[in-house]
Amino acid sequence: MSDTQANTAIDSLPELLAHALAMETEAAERYEELADQMETHRKAGVAAIFRRLEKEEKAHLVELNEMCSRYELPHYAPWDFKWATGESPEAIAIDQVSYKLSVRGAVELALVHERRACDFYAGIAQRASDDEVRILASQFAAEEREHIGWLESCLADCGPDDGAIDDPDPPLSQE
Amino acid sequence: MTVNSVSLVIAGSGGAGVVTAGSLLLDAAAKAGWYALMSRSSGPQIRGGEAAAMLRFATEPIMSHDDSFHLLMAIDWDNITRFSAEIPLTADSLIVGDPVHGDAPAGLLAGRPRQAALPMTDIAAKIENGRPNMVALGAIAAMIGLPPEAMQAVVEKALKKKGAAAIDASMSAFHAGFAAAADLPAIPKLPAVSAASGPRWSITGNEATGLGVIRGGVRFVAAYPITPATEVLEWLAPSLAKVGGMLVQAEDELASINQIIGASYGGVPAMTATSGPGLSLMIESLGLAVAAEVPLVVVDVMRVGPSTGIATKSEQSDLNIAVYGLHGDAPHVVVAANSVSDCLFTTQWAVHLAEAMQVPTIVLTDQAMGQARAILPRPAELAFIGQREVAKAAVEGERYKRYAMTGSGVSPMAIPGTPGLTHTADGLEHNEFGTPSSQASDHQAQMDKRNRKISQYNYGDHWADIEDFGGGPGDAPKEAPLGGTAIITWGSSTGPAREALQRLSAAGGKARLISVRLIAPVQPEKMAEALRGIKRAVVVEQSHSGQFYRMLRAFYELPAQTVSLHQGGPLSFGPQQILDQLNQLNAGSA
Amino acid sequence: MESCAQKKAYKAKDYKSDLKPIWCPGCGDYTVLNSITRALAELALPPEEVAVVSGIGCSSRIPAYTSVYGFHGVHGRALPVATGLKLARPDLTVLVTGGDGDGFSIGGNHFLHACRRNVDLTYIVMDNQVYGMTKGQASPTTSPDWEGSKLTPEGTGINPFQPLVVGLASGANFIARVSASDPINMAQIIVEAIRHPGFSLVQVLSPCVTFRPEQAEWRDIVRTAVVDYTDDAARAARRLMTDDGFNVGKVLFKGSRPPFRPEFEHTDGSVAELEARFAL
Repeated sequence: MSDTQANTAIDSLPELLAHALAMETEAAERYEELADQMETHRKAGVAAIFRRLEKEEKAHLVELNEMCSRYELPHYAPWDFKWATGESPEAIAIDQVSYKLSVRGAVELALVHERRACDFYAGIAQRASDDEVRILASQFAAEEREHIGWLESCLADCGPDDGAIDDPDPPLSQE
Repeated sequence: MTVNSVSLVIAGSGGAGVVTAGSLLLDAAAKAGWYALMSRSSGPQIRGGEAAAMLRFATEPIMSHDDSFHLLMAIDWDNITRFSAEIPLTADSLIVGDPVHGDAPAGLLAGRPRQAALPMTDIAAKIENGRPNMVALGAIAAMIGLPPEAMQAVVEKALKKKGAAAIDASMSAFHAGFAAAADLPAIPKLPAVSAASGPRWSITGNEATGLGVIRGGVRFVAAYPITPATEVLEWLAPSLAKVGGMLVQAEDELASINQIIGASYGGVPAMTATSGPGLSLMIESLGLAVAAEVPLVVVDVMRVGPSTGIATKSEQSDLNIAVYGLHGDAPHVVVAANSVSDCLFTTQWAVHLAEAMQVPTIVLTDQAMGQARAILPRPAELAFIGQREVAKAAVEGERYKRYAMTGSGVSPMAIPGTPGLTHTADGLEHNEFGTPSSQASDHQAQMDKRNRKISQYNYGDHWADIEDFGGGPGDAPKEAPLGGTAIITWGSSTGPAREALQRLSAAGGKARLISVRLIAPVQPEKMAEALRGIKRAVVVEQSHSGQFYRMLRAFYELPAQTVSLHQGGPLSFGPQQILDQLNQLNAGSA
Repeated sequence: MESCAQKKAYKAKDYKSDLKPIWCPGCGDYTVLNSITRALAELALPPEEVAVVSGIGCSSRIPAYTSVYGFHGVHGRALPVATGLKLARPDLTVLVTGGDGDGFSIGGNHFLHACRRNVDLTYIVMDNQVYGMTKGQASPTTSPDWEGSKLTPEGTGINPFQPLVVGLASGANFIARVSASDPINMAQIIVEAIRHPGFSLVQVLSPCVTFRPEQAEWRDIVRTAVVDYTDDAARAARRLMTDDGFNVGKVLFKGSRPPFRPEFEHTDGSVAELEARFAL
């Protein structure tokens, strides 16, 4: 079992939806947070990648929320979710980014996490006994593959290596 | 002398019971229907040091000590000359000593006072458990006209727990002293008062300060002990608990000021009391309260500075730090009490001002009034209760602006717990929402607003006590030779200044007293009104550098002939000293 | 697991303001903010019943980034502000956030006495062993041989402050160390810290990516503490004294001292009664 796989099988629709909702929400919010960080620090190119992904995730969330509203979802504390990662598989850990992150670095980072999300859903689909769960998880995995595809095309556009960006100015004193 | 009063000192070393004797005498004077003022002076020792209780008794209210003392009752002479500057004695004064301790030290005799002997130790020795200080009290009572029954009642109350034998021993010593006084030279006697002229209180300035903040609505106090402010806090601790409030002892003054900032941010009116060294530590956070617009009151019971200075003695030298100590442009309010009784009024008013304007307010009192106990007319009931403008509910579709621009400059404050109005109060410069901002326009707008709220506020007549003596200042100097004269003063110097003017008036002179209560923000228009027709003024203050005089020069149009009468502590002004200055000024211009 | 009808009234995002943090990308403080908001959501506390108090420093910017009541005071004085607020308003949940310089250097005395006083507060210290706001000077927790600052070009030469040892000795009622590299664990510990009565101290190893870039290694160095918490202060002290500072993820000490709770209710008096004592 890879670290993106669920510790325990997810075998009911409410359980799957609760996990999907948490993961997609966290991903959307994280992309937004990273886009904001990069915009605040005038990193327009990197910000644009994260902003685009935020929009994709939020669009996805609209459908997901609609779907979830038809079920009574179980409540999970943040540490009770069944993914083996700490935060959800799709969320880029804050400490993975930096001021010097290049566009190519951002795309590669997003790619890793979108693939983790895809693997997570695919793993559920593979192991679930419930047909509805299997079908929905597969559908979610397919949606993640769309993001992966877009990111792969971005990566191709990035060129071989635009490297880490440096700043000739020193950090500033504040308070 | 216009005030019918008698002044005396009881002095002695540790164990002589000087402080206790002074308190008993004051309480007995209260029973006798008199008015009184008692200050204390002591050596640096925690126990056993030399001590002196200075008392003045009168048949009408008094606000200051006299120029000199009629009587020095010395239970012994140990280190007494350390107080000699604080115990002015003249040829009319009388020193009474105990022969077993030898002659009076030469240091006390500069004013050529009369001398007499009272064998307190020997008299006390003849009474089982008799003590010399009670013998001294008996003699004093006889000399000043205090009825023994008044002392009987006070001793019975004070020694109730010790039992009848102790009471009898004390009163036997008292009566022996009373009888022995027949052989002593006379000093002025006060007439017996059948009934006091109205309801009276016995209270210290520090207690009055505590009561003032409770009356004003304060229910949270943070405390760090410091002489001479500690008694404010000690009085408040049990008193707050009785009225649903709380006092917390903090780890230092930095903590006490920040604790009250936290409590006040939480919606509970809050204060602390300190002295100069503590105020110095609080200054940075007072600036925070200005910027974050958190109402609070800090009472500074001033003592001699700089640094640790003379912790037990009085000076009016924290005016500069109170007004100018904060970094940046930091509009805040500074008020000053001008008597023991006024500690109550001024602190209650200060709470009202702080809450109304959401501004830190510094109250200046001092050791002289703070630690003095007075028997005075019952202070008036005041309507001032802290009223904060509070934001009650969110407005649909509008984000709450904690620092909203308003005409008055006061922005309704949301108290934590109120839904929909969450915000962060900030010491960083901010915009109307409280969001940190380094933009010039936000800084300008917020500075304007913070200044506007205290400069446009209507302080009414309380900005100063203005009293005319001898029928007012007179319209033209020709009409009355002493017309057109004023004393401008503040704080503790007000008492002797008032008495100086009473004497002036008794001698047919006229003058105006202006005792400034609202030190900051300044009130130039009101001062101009108060100074109309005034040609000459004496500015009186207890500060070595003339801080008040310099502040007046900076912000007010003063009469062309204005002189500064200033001296550092710990010696306070006597009324005559002020009157002499006034007469000199008038003579020079005649 | 509870049903969503009872819980889930709040989402983590409900506790964030619209203000965008100014922290450097990758800063551990973003993670702490996220863990605090996750914890508050899990506790389902209405935002208006929570207050976050801070002093000065990068991490002290947190209050404005939350949607709860916030107070951003002066350097080093967050704990007394929070103490006053909590005592005056015991109904509020009060958190204190700040850095190692703010808490252990300029605010060191308040730290000692906040632990001692044991008011029901949760103090979250983002420890990055550096002053970030002033361009990277040595802080009380910096190792003595760190030569990265112009102010101490040959290192400070003085021993680092041991916040948890000092906190324990001073009487903190709950002590934990967490890592910014494990936000979910941090959220869980913060929930426990808030629930535990009295003064709770949570040290967060929160790397400074700009002035201490080598702290990126922390995510690989930290290890989950092998033993669970003790309620025995002597055992906790031994454990902390032999600790290298990288055992994270678990509560180290839970005390049972009752929180400081002075009287704040009418006893038997009125202002008139207070005045009557002065009347003759």
